Amino acid sequence: MTSTAAPTATPEPKAPLFGPEEKRVVLDPLLDQNPITLQVLGICSALAVTTRLDVSIVMGISVIAVMAMANVAISLLRNMIPSKIRIIVQLVVVSGAVIIVDQVLRAYAFDLAKQLGVFISLIITNCIVMGRLEAFAMQNPPWRSLLDGIGNGLGYAWIICVVGAFREIFGSGMLLGYQVIPDAMYEAGYVNNGLMVLAPGAFILLGVIVWVLRWLRGYVEN
Amino acid sequence: MNTNSNSYVMAFTIGLCVAVSSVLAVLATVLKPTQLAAAEFDRQKNVMMAAGMIKSGDPRTRKELEALYQKQVKSIVIDTRDGTVAEGKTADDLEVLNDEARKANPEHTTAFRMIETALTADGKLDAIILPVSGKGLWSTLYGYLALEADKNHVKGIQFYKHGETPGLGGEVENPKWTAKWQGKEILNDKGELVSITVKKGKVNESVASEKRHAVDGLAGATITSNGVSKFVRKDLQAFGTYLQKK
Repeated sequence: MTSTAAPTATPEPKAPLFGPEEKRVVLDPLLDQNPITLQVLGICSALAVTTRLDVSIVMGISVIAVMAMANVAISLLRNMIPSKIRIIVQLVVVSGAVIIVDQVLRAYAFDLAKQLGVFISLIITNCIVMGRLEAFAMQNPPWRSLLDGIGNGLGYAWIICVVGAFREIFGSGMLLGYQVIPDAMYEAGYVNNGLMVLAPGAFILLGVIVWVLRWLRGYVEN
Repeated sequence: MNTNSNSYVMAFTIGLCVAVSSVLAVLATVLKPTQLAAAEFDRQKNVMMAAGMIKSGDPRTRKELEALYQKQVKSIVIDTRDGTVAEGKTADDLEVLNDEARKANPEHTTAFRMIETALTADGKLDAIILPVSGKGLWSTLYGYLALEADKNHVKGIQFYKHGETPGLGGEVENPKWTAKWQGKEILNDKGELVSITVKKGKVNESVASEKRHAVDGLAGATITSNGVSKFVRKDLQAFGTYLQKK
């Protein structure tokens, strides 16, 4: 890791609010630089919380919120953070943001907070968050860091939502709690796939998604 | 400024920690009442689910469900020494009553306990809901066991807080398993409390006592199953005098 504390005096205030650079910052992590499929980060929670779509959505939103908050905070502090202790400073900021999200969920979405349990707190250890702070927010101004946080959060969120939707449909025959596989199918002998409810199901699905996305985008690992 | 000097690092660390903790402290204080209300609503929902008044994922709004709880669920205080209902007493009186009972006889640590009763729409007693809790494998499980008005047949059981392994001990939440409790009996023919046992494996339907007083065990969760048997018995025994009183 290179030292990143040197002040980067870029003439940022003149940059456009939504120039091509900003667009790239938000859109890249959705596909070409997707944190899950390309960088294979944040897999642990992607496996754990995706048994149902609603839980995945809440987890996705939480990660977006944490990343946006932490990225902006670190970006604002980036010229003041002593490089010796920058990792622990990032950790403090991320933990703060995660606790905020956790407390808000417990107040306003108790059922889902209960479902997610420890996994909200575990966002702290999600390497996507720390990775973006270290790789982006430490060098870039707040606005772009905010966009980068939202972009990477979205990149994570849409993948876990896809996994969550698949697992809920094939694992329990429902989507967002509504039955989607008709009773006639069950009467004809169709059975829910128990594997989908368990972690191995998520592993296989995620593997397939990584493969399909990499194949679509022609990505080759060097 | 030299951001790597020791004094700067110290000052920065202290400043950051103070700032972050103040933000969190303020937030926690502001959100506390809402969180407590949400937890209480969750408890009420579980009481009503145990009593079979609502199903999981009921589409009604929070307001409607809270109103339903207010209207059809009443807390009563039981004197477990003789099994009578302490008329007119509420949760607020519990502490005083228990202190008095303890003074009279130090063995009676919690002579007075609170239970919930579910009423039908026209005010008749529909179910008696007892709190049950105890150790499973990893955690303490908290739940409600609802009995029919005859104080014998199980109406439902519902666990609302636990930390058991999802898919194994966590299956105590599974509606398919909790449904097996319905119709089981806690009293034998003589009216003695025998509680309900969670068996290892399947219940043998041809054995009368098992058919009446046992439910299937949870596969792969023997310790959780045994824990449930044990604390359900313990908690039913705590109300034994009340339950055996006709």
